[in-house]
Amino acid sequence: MDDKKFHLLTERYNYMHDVLSGKNNENLRLLSSRLEELGRRLPLLSPAERSDALTTLEDLFNFVENKIEAELTPMDKVRIVRHPQRVCLRDILENVYDNYTEIGGMGEHSLDPAILIARAYITRHRGKHTVNQSVMVIGHEKGHGEEIRNGGSASPWGNAKALHYMKVAEIENIPIHAYVFTPGSYPVEDSPGAAQQIAKNLYEMSNIRVPVLAVISEGGSGGAEAIALADRRLMFSHGYYSVISPEGAAAIEGNVKNGGASSPALVEKCAEQLRLTAEENLRMGYVDGILQEPNLGVRCYHYDFMHHLRQEILRVTDEIVLEVRGIEPFRSMARRSRRKKTRVGLNMDTVHLRWELSSSAQERLVERRHKKFRKLSAKARVDPRNTWSLLKTRLSDFWWDFSSYIRYDLFRRRQQKISNFFGEIQSETTFFFKNQTAPVRRLFGRLLPRFGAKSSGEAEKQLTALSDWSETKSRRGNWAYISNKAMEDRAVVCPNAATHGCLDMWAPDLYGEFAGVCTHCGHHFPMEYQWYLYNIFDKGSIREFNAEIEAADPLGYEGFGVKLEKAKAATGLKSSCLTFEASINNIKLVVAMLVATFRGGSVGAAEGEKFILASERASKKRLPFLAYTHGTAGIRIQEGVNGVIQMPRCTIAVRRYIDAGGLYLVLYDTSSYAGPVASFLGCSPYQFAIRSSNVGFAGPGVIQETTGTVLAPNYHSVYKALARGHIQGIWDRREVSFNLHQAMLTMGGRNLYYK
Amino acid sequence: MDISALLEEIKASPYVESDIAVPHCGVVRFNSKLKAGDKLSGPRGQWKELLGTLLADIERERCLKNIYAREKGELVSINYELAGKFVEAGAEIMHVRHFMSRNEVLQTLLRHSLFLFNAPEKAKYYFVPNIDVKVKNTGAQSVSVHDGMELFIISRMKRETTLRYTGPDGVIYAVYFDAEHHVAPGQPLIGVCPPAQLGQIEDVFMRVQTEWPED
Amino acid sequence: MDISENKVLIANRGEIAIRIVQACRKLGVGFVCVYTAEDARSGHVRLAEELGGSACLYRIASYHDANEILSVADTSGATAIHPGYGFFAEDYRFARRVTQRERGIIFIGPSWRVIRELGDKINTKRLARSLGVPTVPGSDRPIYAELEAEELARSLFDFQTQQGIKNPLVLVKASAGGGGMGIEEVHDLDLFRSVYRRVRNYAARQFKDEGVLIEQRIRDFNHLEVQILADRNARNIVHFGTRNCSIQSTGLQKRLEVAPGFDPASVVYNFDADRLLEDIIRHSLALARKVSYDNVGTWEWIVTREGQPYLMEVNTRIQVENGVSAAISRIKGREPSDGTDLIAEQIRTGLGDPLGYTQEDISFHSMGIEYRIIAENPDNGFAPWVGRIEKFSWNPAPWLHMHTHVPTDAPYDIPTEFDPNLALGIVWGKDIAEVKQRGLEFLESLRLEGSTAKGEPLQSNLAFLKKKTLDILKF
Repeated sequence: MDDKKFHLLTERYNYMHDVLSGKNNENLRLLSSRLEELGRRLPLLSPAERSDALTTLEDLFNFVENKIEAELTPMDKVRIVRHPQRVCLRDILENVYDNYTEIGGMGEHSLDPAILIARAYITRHRGKHTVNQSVMVIGHEKGHGEEIRNGGSASPWGNAKALHYMKVAEIENIPIHAYVFTPGSYPVEDSPGAAQQIAKNLYEMSNIRVPVLAVISEGGSGGAEAIALADRRLMFSHGYYSVISPEGAAAIEGNVKNGGASSPALVEKCAEQLRLTAEENLRMGYVDGILQEPNLGVRCYHYDFMHHLRQEILRVTDEIVLEVRGIEPFRSMARRSRRKKTRVGLNMDTVHLRWELSSSAQERLVERRHKKFRKLSAKARVDPRNTWSLLKTRLSDFWWDFSSYIRYDLFRRRQQKISNFFGEIQSETTFFFKNQTAPVRRLFGRLLPRFGAKSSGEAEKQLTALSDWSETKSRRGNWAYISNKAMEDRAVVCPNAATHGCLDMWAPDLYGEFAGVCTHCGHHFPMEYQWYLYNIFDKGSIREFNAEIEAADPLGYEGFGVKLEKAKAATGLKSSCLTFEASINNIKLVVAMLVATFRGGSVGAAEGEKFILASERASKKRLPFLAYTHGTAGIRIQEGVNGVIQMPRCTIAVRRYIDAGGLYLVLYDTSSYAGPVASFLGCSPYQFAIRSSNVGFAGPGVIQETTGTVLAPNYHSVYKALARGHIQGIWDRREVSFNLHQAMLTMGGRNLYYK
Repeated sequence: MDISALLEEIKASPYVESDIAVPHCGVVRFNSKLKAGDKLSGPRGQWKELLGTLLADIERERCLKNIYAREKGELVSINYELAGKFVEAGAEIMHVRHFMSRNEVLQTLLRHSLFLFNAPEKAKYYFVPNIDVKVKNTGAQSVSVHDGMELFIISRMKRETTLRYTGPDGVIYAVYFDAEHHVAPGQPLIGVCPPAQLGQIEDVFMRVQTEWPED
Repeated sequence: MDISENKVLIANRGEIAIRIVQACRKLGVGFVCVYTAEDARSGHVRLAEELGGSACLYRIASYHDANEILSVADTSGATAIHPGYGFFAEDYRFARRVTQRERGIIFIGPSWRVIRELGDKINTKRLARSLGVPTVPGSDRPIYAELEAEELARSLFDFQTQQGIKNPLVLVKASAGGGGMGIEEVHDLDLFRSVYRRVRNYAARQFKDEGVLIEQRIRDFNHLEVQILADRNARNIVHFGTRNCSIQSTGLQKRLEVAPGFDPASVVYNFDADRLLEDIIRHSLALARKVSYDNVGTWEWIVTREGQPYLMEVNTRIQVENGVSAAISRIKGREPSDGTDLIAEQIRTGLGDPLGYTQEDISFHSMGIEYRIIAENPDNGFAPWVGRIEKFSWNPAPWLHMHTHVPTDAPYDIPTEFDPNLALGIVWGKDIAEVKQRGLEFLESLRLEGSTAKGEPLQSNLAFLKKKTLDILKF
């Protein structure tokens, strides 16, 4: 018994040592020497003495742990989360739920051992009744460092499995409990690719019609989002939820290339700057509550915490249900009384509330979820629109709502019915008359010259004289906008010259008439976004809106404010997202453009908001919506979770637009990676790419690091993306205008509002 | 064929000497860090994504291009009198010696042990479409040929005609042409291994594998 | 600047490079030649070496690489570039680069804007129509509307029926296409719509432009040309008569050209041939004036059996067959043996010299034939023959000009990657009878022998040329 106690203390010491990562700590040294000393003394002591000594040491341990707990840095918490002793999903299943069956997985015999799915139930009593309430538990399994679990890094097919069982839960009308224990998604581009699948998950989850509760211990960026778009999000007090790992941020900050490592101090600093702790996330509104862990984080023997967790998930699941269930006055009454009772310490095991939702409640649930995310990150951007202009926007929004209701819903539906009816009659009669009069017409045709036929002189003139033609279409190579790169007298080498034998091209030809396309192999050299702006859309049709919404530095990330100002000065833009209305061949559309030259086209709160406003505008005005990605490096890491949260936010916006009948087109150019591709861009059913561009989840360096394989140079090429079904076509830059027009005609169909 | 003798012969002089020529006209500058006797490396990495040693650069029409070593080897001499001068296409700027790789030795030996089907005239050659697809997808060794089989397309003077294979039945073991370059008459197009000879070829592989040091 | 201070870089090879070198020598203008590794032993290299030494010779990677040409031009101090024919001859981008780069030099050919304007067939047709120059009946702009296309096709069928054409045909082609892609024929109006849609969809997919051209398809015609010459700024524009290039291979490559285009004195035509030749010359000059044509060029016409001419296109370059026009024309009465040299005239005016004479100073005296001597098999679809030429000779005559890059004193391997012409033989005589007789005499005297690697004997088109000589200028 005492040996066991001693052993436990040794464990606790080692754990502390791990968490502090060898940081110089005198308390730790004290414990170490005391532990060592006791270890030597222990065999010599009597049982009573032993017990006393151990208790004394235990008290000291408790004291020190308390002390360290108070001084934990964000990076310490990251280490806590990653520690093999930390609680795992399986521990939770064992201790929080009353019974469960794992779905599809026995150790390594699993589609993806990093994703664990279980059907579980919790038993609740009400008086003499016991009720088993079913839930679908979906989450990452780290397996206390088991190799096969891959650290909880879900593969694309693992995420697909997760989505599959969310849909199952939807059919079964049971809540989903999602447990996020992931450092990030496994960044392979397979079938499907990582980004492709996460985008799909987000798109589907935004409308899942059952309550979703997410509990975050380790929330690594896109991998976390893949299962965490939820009605409520709780967070472990020692967990982290971040846009990138502190090491990743440090590598970018310190400009570390493959194989190198940043200094521990820089990593520590980045962890601090990223504001990834539970408190910070609660403060910013990205989680709804904190689950207080024992000192230095929960390990599998902290049964009290398990009980607490059980109470919380029951309470929150009930809450989600209560919010949308029943009739409004009763709904709020029930909520109020519940709140009172919980405050006085209601045991959630002894109340019972059915978790099934009626279809109207389901609708309310989805709507509430959408609203919840819509409101987030409002403080993380600069929005200088004053009350008056906001009021004006509101008014015009209202007007558009009203008029499009009249025009498209009320009037159009009636009109369609009437015109369908008349159309039917007309075609019937024409068919009838045609048959009846055909012999007569044939006869007349033979006897008389054709009615309306031209005299021969006139006809000859039509065939041989100059016709009227105002050359409206810009003929090949006559571009409205010519790149500055076309002003230099020099030759340019095509990167494919070695393999395709391309000759060097003269810059004025290449960047002028050829639109940056190698005439021999078709390689597309990158062009500035202005080229697209002025050569794709009808001349003079561009009307920018919301230009005043400005990217900010919400976390006060060191040095970022200056970089941001520099980017603004260099580009003349206020964020990387440009939103405007324009037309192509007289078809109006709304465009959101991510400009690669502004901070790598990264997406933060301002960009996300502009994107959402654009989609809402497209929806109101019944216009097609194009997301043109001139290039994006991903979510802006310096905005932390303010950036990550744009993934679900914008995806929900896109989902709402598409559900309302809109045509959402995505066009990738140059390089598009990470968050945006794994959410609001990657979820479009119609994604296209400009030739020679790259699309993927993580850049080659990151993949090399995580998977340990050297990637083929064309790993992220859009041809690969096309082959695995991520994108739907590859376009030549010079034909973008034609193809977009064609896309609007053929893909718009009845769903498209523009007609 | 005596593989041992051939292999010994190659072992006796395992080098190939060649000139580095500029691909086109321009002003050439040598990599100042290089000198005669230096070791050169060719493209490396799983995908040959790492470039070989930088030898020189050449500027033409304000466009600077680097010239890299294509093979592993040793720099024998540099034509320093060309430094900073305008040179014509094909000018030889360096002389290098290249230690034959395992694969090259193998190819040399195979040339001696396979049946070689030669180009009848100077032209560009392609495989007929269905064979071409097979070669591209599953490799040349998945194609078996037989006498009289329509195998090639000869392309010259903008006209194309087909060419039948004549020779023993077997599997294509080596392809010596590509779509970009002309093949002179008498040069081999493919090397064919008759089934009876398979054992011998495998022996060649084994010998090279064991007797030639890894690159 | 005196033109003799110029140095011309010849961005070409073979027979035309030789003629340009000779013309430069005649004008006292310096020259620079380029060659590729395959051409190291070619005739133009040997001539350049003989006349200018190795200083005027540069080895380049490819004749198609403008960067090679221009870097050699800079290094050699060339002040002008002559593109010859083929390669960069009608490439307005090359012409533009040559003149607009920082070290701009002269492009010996029309100015790039003219090349671009006349290189666009739709534009040429519209220019012609704006001047009343006859063009093939049909559309002169891309048609995008089906109804309009159908209306046009109907008119074309009616029009041909009225003209008494037995089996009227209409051509539907993608306006953005070229090189024979996206072209279909329609012989029945009822089939038009489906063909139209097919071509339109093909054009949309292939060229991303749904525009379609609809024209009459003319089958029975002769191919005529008008030779034009103008000096810089189009101050003076003259013509050097007409040529008939109707004798062609099955692949529609010219094999034998005759000047002038018709001979009403000895052959009977269905129409007034003198008047027709006058008409096409008049029309050609009108268009040249309209676009301010400023160098040598050829106006291509087709003439129907009924004598209706249609302008097809303008070739903004010197052509292979320029020598046959030179052979029959005299400037201020000079004899052909050392008289008209259109290439020299092109270089001289291209470098900025005024023309120095008018149309009245040009007279036409005789009749000429140009033979293209090619190693090929006319009986087997003109399949090219490749191998080594071992013997090549002919009897010189005062009425004969022979242009060739093939050596007569050494064996020669025919390079496979270029134009197959081995030699051009130009003969002239006072009338059709004399020129035919001299042509046959020349062909009889020609020795062209050789063999392939397998020992198969050389094949040539000599017999074909002999046979066709008897039929020249018959419609």
